[in-house]
Amino acid sequence: MFSEFDLELEPGEIIAITGPSGCGKTTLLRCICGLEEPDSGSIYLNGKDITNLPAEKRGVGLIFQNPVLFPHLSVEGNLLLGNKKGDVAKALEEVGLSEFQNRRVESLSGGEGQRVALARALLAQPKVLLLDEPFSSLDDELSDKLVQDVRSILKQRKCPAVLVTHNKIIAENFADSVISL
Amino acid sequence: MKLRLSSSCAVIAYTLLVVVPLWLAIDRLIWVAGFDPLGWINSLNGNYISQGVVAFTFLQALLSTVVTLVIGLPIAWQLGRYKWPLQSLIKATLTMPFVMPSIVAAMGFLHLIGPSGLNIRIDDTTWFATLIIAHAWFNLALVIRFCEPVLSTLDPNLEEQMRLLPAGHSKIGRFRNLWVPLLAPSIAAAACMTFVFSFTSFALVRWITLGDNTLESVMANIGSSAGIPNYMLARNEIILGASLIQFTVLIASLWLMSWLQHRRQNLLPQASEFTVKRVNNSGWMIISPAVIFALSPLIAVFWASFRIRHTDSTGTSYSWETSGWEFAFAGSSSMSSAWDALWNSLGYAMITLCIALPLGWALAQTILDVEKERPKTARFLDVLTMIPFAASSVMIGLGVMLGMIRIDAEFFYSFWPTPVIAHVMITTPFVVRIMLPALRSLNPIYDECAQTLGIPAWRRFMSIRLPLLRGSILVAVIFTLAMSLGEFGASWVVTRNSDWTTLPIMIDSLRSIPYNNTYTAPAACAVSSVLMGITLLLFTWAEKFRPARDGGMF
Repeated sequence: MFSEFDLELEPGEIIAITGPSGCGKTTLLRCICGLEEPDSGSIYLNGKDITNLPAEKRGVGLIFQNPVLFPHLSVEGNLLLGNKKGDVAKALEEVGLSEFQNRRVESLSGGEGQRVALARALLAQPKVLLLDEPFSSLDDELSDKLVQDVRSILKQRKCPAVLVTHNKIIAENFADSVISL
Repeated sequence: MKLRLSSSCAVIAYTLLVVVPLWLAIDRLIWVAGFDPLGWINSLNGNYISQGVVAFTFLQALLSTVVTLVIGLPIAWQLGRYKWPLQSLIKATLTMPFVMPSIVAAMGFLHLIGPSGLNIRIDDTTWFATLIIAHAWFNLALVIRFCEPVLSTLDPNLEEQMRLLPAGHSKIGRFRNLWVPLLAPSIAAAACMTFVFSFTSFALVRWITLGDNTLESVMANIGSSAGIPNYMLARNEIILGASLIQFTVLIASLWLMSWLQHRRQNLLPQASEFTVKRVNNSGWMIISPAVIFALSPLIAVFWASFRIRHTDSTGTSYSWETSGWEFAFAGSSSMSSAWDALWNSLGYAMITLCIALPLGWALAQTILDVEKERPKTARFLDVLTMIPFAASSVMIGLGVMLGMIRIDAEFFYSFWPTPVIAHVMITTPFVVRIMLPALRSLNPIYDECAQTLGIPAWRRFMSIRLPLLRGSILVAVIFTLAMSLGEFGASWVVTRNSDWTTLPIMIDSLRSIPYNNTYTAPAACAVSSVLMGITLLLFTWAEKFRPARDGGMF
């Protein structure tokens, strides 16, 4: 799909990758987090080769295009999957959903669901966060707000992140630098 | 492609438990009778034991299928298209006969048409009609389960659009151009399964017709004398001929049903059940008799368990007593008590569950894992897991029995859990059929998301997969228990030379005692009532967990 692609991230750096549909943006993220195996090449995290590590052992978080929330669990239950001992209330407060702890996931709107998914991913304390077009299914107003909120949370935590999107405006608003495929 | 260890173990275990006994049985029969497929089939009409059996089997199966559709389709239409008070209770009542052990149904119909019921048991024609109606009662659930979900969740926009088009201006036009094409695969699939179950019917044929035989009941009747060298050789030929015809017909029907189901699953625009349904008061004219029809044989069984016949020089009179129950639970020197039968049945059901559930689940997972990269292998495994459907329960019983004789007859006949082998063979394919669609519908993104959260495999299984599959697992558990508890055909063949009485075997044994004992018929109904009660309890529990739009028979 793509070759000779090198990408290096500094702590706290946020980059965005843009490109048309089908160019391999999502596949790139899935390779980085370990859900797919690259045909060739290596992935290093903090100097350690993680290319052959299973996804759950990499410490790389991924936020999917549509929020993936486990329907059999409450919002709190979903967050605790990320970190059993994590501070759920604080994580929800960070994403602006303070009162949502006991809500059922089916009662959430698209934007709320995406915030819960983000809170869960952050609670897992990933070394890198990957975002696969998480703002694309939201309306413009909500998308703009979430872009700013997520960016500031990541910056506060000095968590490096890679966003893939086909929307160049979102890419520029969210990332420190933008790569076009 | 790497196959998981659990997958390899499941395939090996299934082969040993299911395929090998059947293979041993067929091998033994061929060894005794010689290899002559045409001769086996000809022997069916050449022998007085099996004369006319092929024609009777086909005729009753075809008629049963037609009658089931005639009764079932209007009910499915009413349930699917309109809103009913106590909808789930009505649906559960109408689909319950399918999970009832066939011998309980047989007892119910015997009493319904007998002297204590409608008293219309006159001659062969009554018995034949009763058999057809009993098959329709038993298989009604198939028509409802296959057709009702299509009717109840179809997007109303489709019908609204059709109303606005010239082809759909009239009701007949909409019926012809919308409903018939949409429902045809479901109706055909239900017809196929009804045909299969009627074709292999055993307990109902054995008890209702009193003389006529299907291929299944012939095999059961002569099975105990098969597989012995130089002894009643013709019987081996008859069994092989009957199996060959049965296997061919069942494989063709199952293949057709599988193909139809695949067509049926092509995505139809769906809407929520609540947006589609309207109230239809005149529909009670169909629903009320249907509910009465579904409940009558079961009420008749319970009723008859308290009705004791007294015959003396002045004639026959009846009284209401609990003596039938006491007779069944007391036991005698020649008959085990219902307690023994109950414990045996429960024990076998529990062991069956412990083997069939993990085995069926692992097989379903294996099929799913394999089908993406090696679809032909997956298809082969899929067919392999359906072999017991095509072999019928009596053939499975023969397989176990002849396999036992071949390996170590003395050991197996003194080994209490032996009947479990037959129960596992029968229930495992059902577990596969329940778990496979559930596993297919499980979105892999949940597992992927959990992986990116750093959750290890075991925790992913416990906290994500297991809860998401909970409904289907419970349905599989309950179905396995109900099937094992009510299993009659295979157990009847396997336990013939042993003392391991189960509830269905005890019902059969009680009814086989000469009619001059006034307690045997009520006692058989008492045991039937116990079995019916347990099945009802399990079925009611299963209904709570059934996915809303399962659209299958289970």
